[in-house]
Amino acid sequence: MYDFDFEKPSTIDEAVAALSSEGAQALGGGQTLIPTLKQRLNMPEKLVSLTGIAEMKGVSSDGGTMKIGGGTTHGTVAKEAKGSFAGLAKLASLIGDPAVRNRGTIGGSLANNDPAACYPSACMATGATIRTNSREIAADDFFDGLFTTALEEGEIIVGVDFPVPEASDYQKFEQPASRFPLVGVFVAKHGDRVGVAVTGAGEDGVFRWTEAEEALAGNFSADAVSGLSHSADGLISDLHGTAEYRAHLIGVLTKRAVAAAS
Amino acid sequence: MSVAKPLPHDAAPLHVTGQARYVDDIPTPANTLHLAFGTSAHARASITALDLAAVRAAPGVIAVLTADDLPAANDVSPSAHDEPLLAEGEVYYIGQPIFLVVATSHLAARKAARLATVTYAEKPALLTIDDAMAANSRFEDGPREYTRGDLAAGWAQAATTVEGSIELGGQEHFYLEGQAALALPQEGGDMVVHSSTQHPTEIQHKVAEALGVPMNAVRVEIRRMGGGFGGKESQGNALACACAVVARLTGRPAKMRYDRDDDMMITGKRHDFRIDYRAGVDAQGKLVAVEFDQLCRCGWAQDLSLPVADRAMLHADNAYFIPAVRITSHRLKTHTQSATAYRGFGGPQGMVGIERVMDHLAAELGCDPLVLRQKNFYASGGRYLEQENEQVAPSTAGVEEDLTSRGAVATGEPDKVVAVPVGAQTTPYGQAVVDSVAHELVAALCEKADYAGRRAAVERWNAENAVLKRGLALTPVKFGISFTLTHLNQAGALVHVYQDGSIHMNHGGTEMGQGLFQKVAQVAASRFGVPLERVKITATDTGKVPNTSATAASSGSDLNGMAVAAACDEIKARIAAFLAEVHQADPAEVRFEGDAVLVGADVIPWEKAVAEAYVGRVSLSATGFYKTPSISWDRIKGEGRPFFYFAYGAALTEVVVDTLTGENRMLRVDILHDAGTSLNPALDIGQVEGGFIQGAGWLTTEELVWDNTGRLTTHAPSTYKIPACSDRPPVFNVALWPNANREPTIYRSKAVGEPPFMLGISALMALSDACAACGPHYPALEAPATAEHVLEAIGRARAGESG
Repeated sequence: MYDFDFEKPSTIDEAVAALSSEGAQALGGGQTLIPTLKQRLNMPEKLVSLTGIAEMKGVSSDGGTMKIGGGTTHGTVAKEAKGSFAGLAKLASLIGDPAVRNRGTIGGSLANNDPAACYPSACMATGATIRTNSREIAADDFFDGLFTTALEEGEIIVGVDFPVPEASDYQKFEQPASRFPLVGVFVAKHGDRVGVAVTGAGEDGVFRWTEAEEALAGNFSADAVSGLSHSADGLISDLHGTAEYRAHLIGVLTKRAVAAAS
Repeated sequence: MSVAKPLPHDAAPLHVTGQARYVDDIPTPANTLHLAFGTSAHARASITALDLAAVRAAPGVIAVLTADDLPAANDVSPSAHDEPLLAEGEVYYIGQPIFLVVATSHLAARKAARLATVTYAEKPALLTIDDAMAANSRFEDGPREYTRGDLAAGWAQAATTVEGSIELGGQEHFYLEGQAALALPQEGGDMVVHSSTQHPTEIQHKVAEALGVPMNAVRVEIRRMGGGFGGKESQGNALACACAVVARLTGRPAKMRYDRDDDMMITGKRHDFRIDYRAGVDAQGKLVAVEFDQLCRCGWAQDLSLPVADRAMLHADNAYFIPAVRITSHRLKTHTQSATAYRGFGGPQGMVGIERVMDHLAAELGCDPLVLRQKNFYASGGRYLEQENEQVAPSTAGVEEDLTSRGAVATGEPDKVVAVPVGAQTTPYGQAVVDSVAHELVAALCEKADYAGRRAAVERWNAENAVLKRGLALTPVKFGISFTLTHLNQAGALVHVYQDGSIHMNHGGTEMGQGLFQKVAQVAASRFGVPLERVKITATDTGKVPNTSATAASSGSDLNGMAVAAACDEIKARIAAFLAEVHQADPAEVRFEGDAVLVGADVIPWEKAVAEAYVGRVSLSATGFYKTPSISWDRIKGEGRPFFYFAYGAALTEVVVDTLTGENRMLRVDILHDAGTSLNPALDIGQVEGGFIQGAGWLTTEELVWDNTGRLTTHAPSTYKIPACSDRPPVFNVALWPNANREPTIYRSKAVGEPPFMLGISALMALSDACAACGPHYPALEAPATAEHVLEAIGRARAGESG
């Protein structure tokens, strides 16, 4: 780890101010960033911890929307979403291990946009809105390739607003060693609109499987997607699996998610 | 007697309380230096420039050594002197040590090692079996071939034939304790080395070469390892030599341990294989002809690849009699880590070949694979239940080559020609199989685990379920016990009885968690008829017992148990002679039991007997020696009796496969294993359980992946999946099968280190069975059977089917 300055503001405004200096970087739960620093793969001059900002924490419901503070841990999401938003609760409960779930935050995960992260699929499938200190960004416009998002320098995720679906599920095929998703599929049904989003598989990160969404829109059943198969084009081939295998899993997991949600 | 008791591991309380001391736990002197290698970034290249200025300038760095700085030999090979400690201008794999950083801390050394500027002129690298075959890149001048019988006649009799190929992945040892060494310079240029090694004599030899001193100037000590599995037979040489050289050059203690990623990148692994096969059975289902081409990827240096590949050939028959057979072995040289010893030493790969053949033939015949297997077992030698517990161990009767290495070349004539009993079935290499219990043991397992009922249940399940398919397989193990390099089958021991009656026991075997020390201590206590608590287990030390063989080839208890028994018997004989004279008795009637010495009608408590002997000026210290009798082997011709005996076992594994994703798990495993008359059933069952799981891991989840530049991409537990507790089958029944060794081994026990590893083959064959339930074709499942490979196999089983 290289040397850095450390600040722990208690309001969003203070955090934004602290992040305005050159070389400053936001620190959420640190479950990705701290190991990266330890390996000296990153050299921020200043870390601004977001964990002391009360207004960025917690889960609340507002009509049909679940509003989750950017500094809310996966463990809290898993607990709070359990009754009303089963797919999201399941997704959060399967991230990492208890230590990761008790430290890692939803805002940190989304800002990092790891191609094998779980949360981006829930955002894409539900059409969530990412709220920052300065604006609101639709999920479809937020994720911008591997480890890249629409966030500007110094911009922080203060919360995520999820339209709570009528039905939802997340299916994660775990790579057996790391337990990251080799492929993860989130399915969400809002009336006639169905979202299907895939993580772990795309060369450009999370994406929506629109063909499946269309098939499910009129007929939300596993049968509706049984004739569909996803192309291997644009999917990751790596030490854990080929693009063809990932493409196959997208089909299987989508059906499973629909079956589990319906 | 303490033998045959299921006593816990002697160090178990130390393990669980953290008191057990491993090499890395030894307190080091204040001025100890720490080392790290700078390694090659290319699989095959010449180094055109090596700029180490930044490394030398890094914080904490004391020195940086290259090959030019070494005081004597630059070689850490256990065999062909083809493995420099530090590269000499050419590099042969990604991870090969090029220079050595000497620093004030482990971290400082590792950080500095990354600062070198190495300029390479890249050359074409041979990475795969196909690359090496195309380039004829191999060890030895050509393939080895063993043949037996009339193949043409065999093929003429064949009513059903199959032909195919199976890929078998390698395997990382994943010992929990990484490689480590600590060298402590002594007066007059002598060196003491603590090394995490299964082969202290090899370390002694290589360190002596590296320092240019005779072996008597080097003493190597190892109390225990945190797992070895063959990965510490030759792979510790580099660390020990590096430490010794630095200690010599600086006069300061030097320590080195590999970080896990470095360990996985630098050290050798299990050999991966491709086995091409062709096999035929007659109308009765008896094997009539089998041909194997074993293609073995050895990596860049010879290491122990020749005997490994030999043992793969020697296990190409497993438990089956094959009248006409050809086994051809290609030992291929590639620009990857130098593959090395790993539990089973090639045997598992050879055995998977024939088990695959049996599975494939059964599919072709449409019969239960177990029936085909049973038809072809070697004729039974019968179970051997008579026990001769008190057999006397034979008692004691001398370069450039490291003669104690399994990579050494056999010299001298075989002891004697070993006769084959008339009418006995023989292996493809001509050894009579007179001890087979495959029939009886498998029948017992079938009954115990209800094979027939469960076969029917699996068929019912598969008829009723479209998505989840179950599979069942029972595979046998027949594993040859002895080093195939005959002269290695010897061992020494040193036993002292102190004047207070306490006993100090030492032998050449090393403890790596397997429980060897406890088993041998049980032998010592039994010989003297005293409680186990009187026997002190001590660290393996080349200064106490010289010229030892590696603790390998499952031989630890067989060899060292006998040597310790011989030493104990020598001391007993002296005490008996002395006390008999004092008490006017016959020495032959003096008995040692119940913590006492019985002389005529007198019962002399052990401590008193020892004190009397001491005062009577009796030597209470003795060495013991053992050499395995009756073995002889010509590895070039492929003829002789390489093995003293065979160990047997069988496993029945039931799995379930998700046919949509290929995910799979073991549901139930039943094992019967032949450990002879077990020296310690608790420890032996532990070895059977661990061996099975490790074998199943090799064939299912453990996948090594090299990228197309030759870089190993799976070099940490985040990418390489070894079995965890949660991967155990929920029902796991393991039992030993009483079958006294018909050969006079120590208390009629059998070796148990490696044989159970191959019980894991049943997991692969059960998965194959489940895949076969998906369609009409043979699934030809590859190993490791990862989820993706299982799904591919299901696709092959279904190929051409509509819907």
